[in-house]
Amino acid sequence: MAKTVYVGMSGGVDSSVAAMLLVEQGYKVVGVYMKNWSEDLPGMKCPWAEDLADAKRVAVKLRIDFEVWDFEKEYREKVVEYMLSEFKAGNTPNPDIMCNQEIKFKLFYEKAMKRGADFIATGHYARTGQFECVLSGTGPSRPSSRGSGPHTLAAASGLPREKHSQLSQTRLMRAVDENKDQTYFLYRISEKALARTLFPIGEMTKPEVKKLAEKHGLHNAYKKESMGVCFVGEVGMKDFLKKYIDVQPGEIREIESENVLGYHEGAVFYTIGQRHGLYLSGEKGAVNDGMPYYVVKKDLKNNIVYVSKNLNDEHLWTDKLQLKDIVLRQSEYILSGTGPSRLSSQGSGPHTSAAASGLPREEYSRLPSILVRLRHRAPLVPAEFDGETLYFEHKIRRPASGQSAVIYDDGICLGGGIII
Amino acid sequence: MIYLDFAAATPVNDKALKAMGPYFAEEFFNPSSPYLPAKKVAAEYESAKAVIARAIGAKATDLVITAGATEANNLAFTALSLGEAEPTFKILYLETEHDSVRRVAEQCGGVAIQVLPSGLIDLEDLKGKITDGTELISVSLVNNELGTIQPLAEVAKIVREIRLDRMRRGVKRQLLLHSDASQALNLLDVNVARLGVDLMTLNSAKIYGPKGVGALYVSHEAKLRPLVAGGGQEQGLRSGTENVPGVIGFATVVAEAKKHVKNNRAKYRELRRILLDELQGYELINKKHTLDNFVILCYNGLDAERLVFLLEDKGVYVATGAACAASKGVRSHVLKAIGLSDSEIAGSLRLSLGELNDAEQMHEAARIINEVVLAERARING
Repeated sequence: MAKTVYVGMSGGVDSSVAAMLLVEQGYKVVGVYMKNWSEDLPGMKCPWAEDLADAKRVAVKLRIDFEVWDFEKEYREKVVEYMLSEFKAGNTPNPDIMCNQEIKFKLFYEKAMKRGADFIATGHYARTGQFECVLSGTGPSRPSSRGSGPHTLAAASGLPREKHSQLSQTRLMRAVDENKDQTYFLYRISEKALARTLFPIGEMTKPEVKKLAEKHGLHNAYKKESMGVCFVGEVGMKDFLKKYIDVQPGEIREIESENVLGYHEGAVFYTIGQRHGLYLSGEKGAVNDGMPYYVVKKDLKNNIVYVSKNLNDEHLWTDKLQLKDIVLRQSEYILSGTGPSRLSSQGSGPHTSAAASGLPREEYSRLPSILVRLRHRAPLVPAEFDGETLYFEHKIRRPASGQSAVIYDDGICLGGGIII
Repeated sequence: MIYLDFAAATPVNDKALKAMGPYFAEEFFNPSSPYLPAKKVAAEYESAKAVIARAIGAKATDLVITAGATEANNLAFTALSLGEAEPTFKILYLETEHDSVRRVAEQCGGVAIQVLPSGLIDLEDLKGKITDGTELISVSLVNNELGTIQPLAEVAKIVREIRLDRMRRGVKRQLLLHSDASQALNLLDVNVARLGVDLMTLNSAKIYGPKGVGALYVSHEAKLRPLVAGGGQEQGLRSGTENVPGVIGFATVVAEAKKHVKNNRAKYRELRRILLDELQGYELINKKHTLDNFVILCYNGLDAERLVFLLEDKGVYVATGAACAASKGVRSHVLKAIGLSDSEIAGSLRLSLGELNDAEQMHEAARIINEVVLAERARING
C-alpha cells in the first residue's frame, strides 16, 4: 500500500511543487495548511486567507485531500512570546527557526503521526541522508544519499569501526541549491521528526522548481515570495513590536564621543551592525561626510543606542562566539577526554557522546574544521567548536545576539546554537 | 469561459465604454473651472447625474456621487444624530447585510434584525426591536449572496407608522430608512417614493458600469455629515473633483438597465430554469423571493471551495458565498442567518447569471458542474 505523507502547504510555489512531486512519486498525499497567524496589523492585511486559498487550489488540482490545521494559539505561545521576550531582552531572535522547532516539526509532525502518516513533508530547500552511525566514537560512514562527500570528522576518532555497534540515523543535509539552502532555519528540529521528514525539492534549484510549477500549470509559479518572518514580513516587524512592546524614545550617541547624534523610537528595534533606518540629525559636530553609521552597542538600561562610523569598531567584530541552547544532532562528534587546551591528546580517550553524557566542559575537545553559517544565505565560515564557543581563524562581523550560528560538516548540518 | 459570478463583477457595457471615452483625455476639464469647456463638462456631468436620479424617481441634487457602494453605505450612517447617551439603540440593520453596512452598523452599536429561513426580513422582529431611540433602519433591497428581494415597501410602512406615532407622542427623534440597492437596478423597478426609502445606495459596478462609482440617494428628511471634506463638491457631502467619465458611464448603464428590466427578468428566469432542470444532486437554497439571476446551490457533504477550483480548471467561474467572504477565510454570515448548518454552508455555491450568458452556456455549465460534483463525491467515497 502507498505510504501516506502529510505535506505542509503554504500556498507558495515551493510547497506546491513538493506536494506535486510526492503525488507523482506515488504517495498518498494529504495537504495541510498550517494556520499560525491571521491577525491584521494596522495598514497590513494578513494574507493567510489568500495563502490558504492558493494552497487549496493546488491541492484540488492535484486531487489530494486538504485540511487546515489551526496552530494559532500554540504559535502565539511558543513563537511570538519567545520572539517578544528576546526583543525585550535586547536580542534579535529568529522566529522562523522557532516556528520550525515548535510548530512545523513538532505539532504538525506529531499530529500527522497520530493521524497515521508515514512521513511529513515540507517545501524547504534541504535534504536528509541516511548514515550508518557508530554509537560511540567514530563519525558516520559514507552517506547513502547522493551529493555529499566523505566526512572529515570521522577521522578524528582513533578507534577501529568494527568495535562499535551501528545503526542508521537520519541527518539534515544542505540543499543542492546553495543559494536557497534553508537548513539554517531547520537546525533545531528533532532527530525523531527528521527521520520521518521528506524534503521533495531539496535536490532541485529554485529555477527548476519554478519551471516545474509552470509546466504543471500550478498558478503560484509566479507568486511573490514571502520574505522574513512569515506573518509580518521584514518591513512590518517594527510595527508589530510597537504593538506588543512598550517602548520609549531615546538617544542615539556616537560611541567615540558620546555625542548625541539623534533619537530612536526604542532601543529594542535596533540590531548591532545595523546601518539602515537611523535618523541622525548630525548635530554636535558630527560630520556629515556621507559615511554610514553603524549600531555598535545598545544600552537597554538607559535606552541608548550607540553608533559609530568606524567599521573597525571592536563591537562589530569578533573571532569567537559563545553559544547557548545548543543543539547537536551528531553528538558523537564531540569527543571526550580533551579540552581546547589539550588538542594534542585528541582522540586518545574513551569515546562517548559528550553532550549526551553531560561531561564537564573541559572534557570536550575542539571540533576542527567545521563550517558555520551565521545568517540565512551567508557564506559558510570555517571554525572550531568546543561545545560552547565557536573559534574563527579570522575576525568576523559580529552577528546580533539572539541569532543562530549553525554548524556544518561539509554537507551535513550538525546543529547549532543561539549566539549570546 | 462560462462566467457565472455577475454578482461579484460585471463587464463594462460597450455603450458605456464609448460614452466614457472622450472624458479621459479630450473633455478632461475640471467641472469647477470657470472657462467654457469646463462649464460644458460640468453641465454634462449634471445631466448624467439627472439620468441616474430620474431612474429612481429623484432629482440630481438628491444624489451624492461616491467612489462606489461601500462609501455610499458608510455615508448613509452619518445621518445619525451626534453625541447622545445610548447610541446602541440608534441603528437597526438586517443581519444579512453586506459588510459595508454590517461593519459600520456594528461600530455604531447597531442591533441586527433577524431574517426568516426564506431570507426575508422578520417584520415582527423588526417591530419588536424599534425603540424611541431608533434613528436608522438599514435593509437592502436585494441580498448580495442570495438574491433575496426584501419587502421594502412593507418595512417603509412600519417606519411611517412609527413616525406618526412618535409625532403623536411628541417624540422628536428622526427615523430613517436606508436601503442598499446595489444589485437591483437592472432587474427591479427601483423608485424611491414607491419603496419609501430616505437613503438608498446605488452601484455602477454591478450593472455593467465602471467600478469605483456609486451614489447615495438622500431625501430631504436625512441630514448627512461629509466623510470626505474638501472643495465642497456633491452639495458639500463628498468633496473631490468629480469622476466625470465614471458618472457618464454610470448614467449610460442606468439608462440601458431601465430599458431592459422586463426582458432581463424573463431571460434569467429561463436560464435559471435550464440550470435547475439539468443540474443533479443539489438542494436549491433560494427557492422564492429572489432575483432570477441568482442560483444558490447546496451540495451537502462537499466542499464548495474545492468545487470552485475544479470548475475554474474547466473554465467555469462561480463563487462560494460572497466573493470577499471567501477570500477572508470566513464562512458566510448570510447562509448562517437563514439557518444553514456548517456543512451546508461549506457545500454552497453561488451562481449569478448575467448578460454574457445564454441557454447554450447553461447546458454546458450544468454538464460540467454535474461532472465535477460526481468526481468529488467519488473522491470522498473512496
